[in-house]
Amino acid sequence: MRYFVGRALQALIVVWAVGTLVFFMLRAVPGDPIQALLADVDPRAAEVIRAKLGLDQPVWVQYLFWMRNTLAGDLGQSLYGSHQAVSQQIAEAIPRTVSLALVAFLISFTLGLTAGIVSAVKKDSFLDYGFNLAAFLGISMPSFWIGIVLIIVFAVNLRWFPSIGYRPMSDGLDQWLRYLILPGLSVGLPFSASIARLTRSAMLEVLGQDYITVARSKGLNERRVIFRHALRNALIPVVTVMGISLALLFSGSVVVENVFAIKGLGRVLIQGILNRDYPVVQGSILLVAVLLVFMNLAVDMLYRLIDPRISYD
Amino acid sequence: MNKHLRKIIANLSPQEKARVEEEHRRAYDYDPQDPLFGLSADELSGPQLSRRSFLRLVAASGGTLSMAQLLGAAGIVLPTAARAVAQSGGHLICGWAGTAEITTLDPAVINAVLQFQVASNVMSGLTHINAELVAEGDLATDWTVSDDGLVWTFNLREGVTWHNGDAFSAADVVYTYNRSKNPENSIHSGNLINVLDVVALDDATVELTLARPQASLLVKTLERSSGRAMTIVNGNAIDSMGLQEYGLKPIGTGPFRVTEHQLGQGVVLERFDDYYDPERPAVDKVTIIPIPETEPLAAAIETGDIHLIGGNAVAAELIDRFLANPDLVVDEIAGNGFQSVFANPWREPMIVEDFNPSVDELKTQSGFQVRLALAKAFDRERFIQRALFGRGVPGFGTINPAMGFYFDTAINETSEQRFDVEAAQALLAEAGYPNGEGFPTLKLLTTPAGRRAAEVMVDIYRNNLNINLELDVKDFTVLIEDAFRMEYDLMALGSGGDFDPDDGLVDWMQTTSRFNGPNRNDADLVEKYGERAFGSFSDAHVDELVDQQAVTADPDARKVLVQEANQITSDKVASIFTHHLTEILVHRAEVTVPPAGRIVGLRDLDRVYFN
Repeated sequence: MRYFVGRALQALIVVWAVGTLVFFMLRAVPGDPIQALLADVDPRAAEVIRAKLGLDQPVWVQYLFWMRNTLAGDLGQSLYGSHQAVSQQIAEAIPRTVSLALVAFLISFTLGLTAGIVSAVKKDSFLDYGFNLAAFLGISMPSFWIGIVLIIVFAVNLRWFPSIGYRPMSDGLDQWLRYLILPGLSVGLPFSASIARLTRSAMLEVLGQDYITVARSKGLNERRVIFRHALRNALIPVVTVMGISLALLFSGSVVVENVFAIKGLGRVLIQGILNRDYPVVQGSILLVAVLLVFMNLAVDMLYRLIDPRISYD
Repeated sequence: MNKHLRKIIANLSPQEKARVEEEHRRAYDYDPQDPLFGLSADELSGPQLSRRSFLRLVAASGGTLSMAQLLGAAGIVLPTAARAVAQSGGHLICGWAGTAEITTLDPAVINAVLQFQVASNVMSGLTHINAELVAEGDLATDWTVSDDGLVWTFNLREGVTWHNGDAFSAADVVYTYNRSKNPENSIHSGNLINVLDVVALDDATVELTLARPQASLLVKTLERSSGRAMTIVNGNAIDSMGLQEYGLKPIGTGPFRVTEHQLGQGVVLERFDDYYDPERPAVDKVTIIPIPETEPLAAAIETGDIHLIGGNAVAAELIDRFLANPDLVVDEIAGNGFQSVFANPWREPMIVEDFNPSVDELKTQSGFQVRLALAKAFDRERFIQRALFGRGVPGFGTINPAMGFYFDTAINETSEQRFDVEAAQALLAEAGYPNGEGFPTLKLLTTPAGRRAAEVMVDIYRNNLNINLELDVKDFTVLIEDAFRMEYDLMALGSGGDFDPDDGLVDWMQTTSRFNGPNRNDADLVEKYGERAFGSFSDAHVDELVDQQAVTADPDARKVLVQEANQITSDKVASIFTHHLTEILVHRAEVTVPPAGRIVGLRDLDRVYFN
């Protein structure tokens, strides 16, 4: 328990450090948001807006304000348009990104685990070679490119799925899924290739161990040997990757959200960076940092469930 | 419409009927003291009105009635096609190209064309440009101007209702003015500097008082889309909804009302049943989805997931593909704005300290020789073919085809910038760089979106002048900062542009123009370059001409001034003018965008209908 409290404190420090770094880095990069905002409008308005948004203050004063507001749960407002609250933008975006990540996660693990297990069990068969080749291709292809190919094949030619957009679950589970299949595959396929490779090698290693031979010699059913004895031990490295995978799924969705015109967290972030919209970038990165840091913590806790021999005390 | 005219119309062929009705529509609000609007009887007759007469009529009368009102008054039944339009209904889905979100619809903070393309369907102004780019009444039915051109009195349309049920009145116009003139509320306050006051004479009449006459008032300041400063907003709704919500779902008096708007995910518009023109809009519902990437946009329209493309320009490489698709309609018209490469006159080897001497005198200075050589060596036709797949026209100044009457292609033959490789090479040699030898490697500043075109430019200069340019690609936020501080060698930049010559001349070509190195006197720059009187260009005569054209209401007289200023800025290489874009509208064949709804730069969806 003490270990997890310590890890949680470390996580908070990491989140603070990330937030602070992003705050100062954003202000160090060239590009003045107000000048971009006022590119073809009244220069008199620049100073008024700068003062209104507090951007006329020294950077350290801006930082203190930001810290105070963030601790109070206020992530600020976008510098652009009608200054929508960052928390609202994030709240609207999160269900889309989570939906996409969830579908991608399910696709990648279903495909990855299946292919990995089959490849290991049927080592050096045509099936194994086929999965290996597919995995190499999957790893080599960037997700945005897969997205475009999927659109051309399944939306333009076959017309099975819509080419762009997102429907919330409230429109019906079928609609939700219909709009998420192609983006989910775009993010999930490259990742499933990594999972397949990893599962295959972990399974091969485990299948070669003595206790598997013992299990088999006891006359246990092969299915039981594989799923009960081998897979459970082989899953440890795979679960580690699951934690990292969430980070990868988020980064993959940044690009794929653009391809499929889904306004998720990735697009909020990209748009914020391009516009030098400080509060939006700070808010979204802070959230991503919180998600990743605590996701890693959760994975550490999962280890114990999978393998009770692992102890942190 | 009087009985006599109605009787005549009833006996005409449909084409003749349409023509007479249109002419009557333009001229219905004539002044009894000057029934011909300063035109001769000959100029008013004939099968067609001349452009000059047309402009004069519109400028003089400002009158407009909807066709439905005219036909109703004339007792004419709508033809079948027109009825089909009115009854079209349906759900139109549009993709907004090259953008991740429609950040705001509040006119006070709109800063992109793709935003007011949407807002123009929801909000109204006193005027709105028509397909001929001439301002006609929107919430104003007609107007009169005092002899000194300083007092404009607008009669407002009666019986207009806001989307929230409020009644529209002159007080809303006054509210909008008071809101927009304050830079704390509106980033367009500068557009109202010349408007001293707006007073409601009664519920249906407002009076604008100007500091000095302004020819562009109707098109640039009061227009509902490009004007922004005077796009009429509802004060009660702003107070009750708050700015944030109003920016997403503004209450307007336009043909559509916003029912949903999630940033980045799309805007849903629904037909406003109480719109002042009962014939519009034709469709029941519109959904607008921002689509940032090129290929998904193409796929979406090819599959029919969207019916029409708005927003930023469609990528040039897609056009031939769309043209080959029988399910799609590609409509290309002259675009607005100008595109150019600014050559920094503060930096070697393009230094020009003073642009006031004559062109012949300037031609003796090496800095000007280099500038002119760069301008003359730029093969515009080749550039348009290679960089834009043929979608553009050569440009030699800020005045562009979308400015219609004020645009004249004569400059293509007369400009000092016209393409001539040998002359360009000779100029470069005279400047001390024979065959490009010893010419420094200049940086060409551009945005990521402009990279491809900039690479073609680099290639053209390498071939024609044997000089090397290096690309300097920066996000727009950074590029514009460098532009304002004059921190570049060469910079590819242009204007999206409004529809009035002021857009090019006042905003870019005067010594005090907002884009003429406005931050040139930042302390660090003064230390580096000394105090500078201008950024990219300054010519006293151009300043005078531009000031003069801005207060000249007569289109012909104004055109002369505009042309002269345009010629000088071209000859003296205020910038290397490269091209004017064409504007391409792509939509599915199952929808029709009638000519009246095809306004350059805009997507007025109220006239679009399903076949």
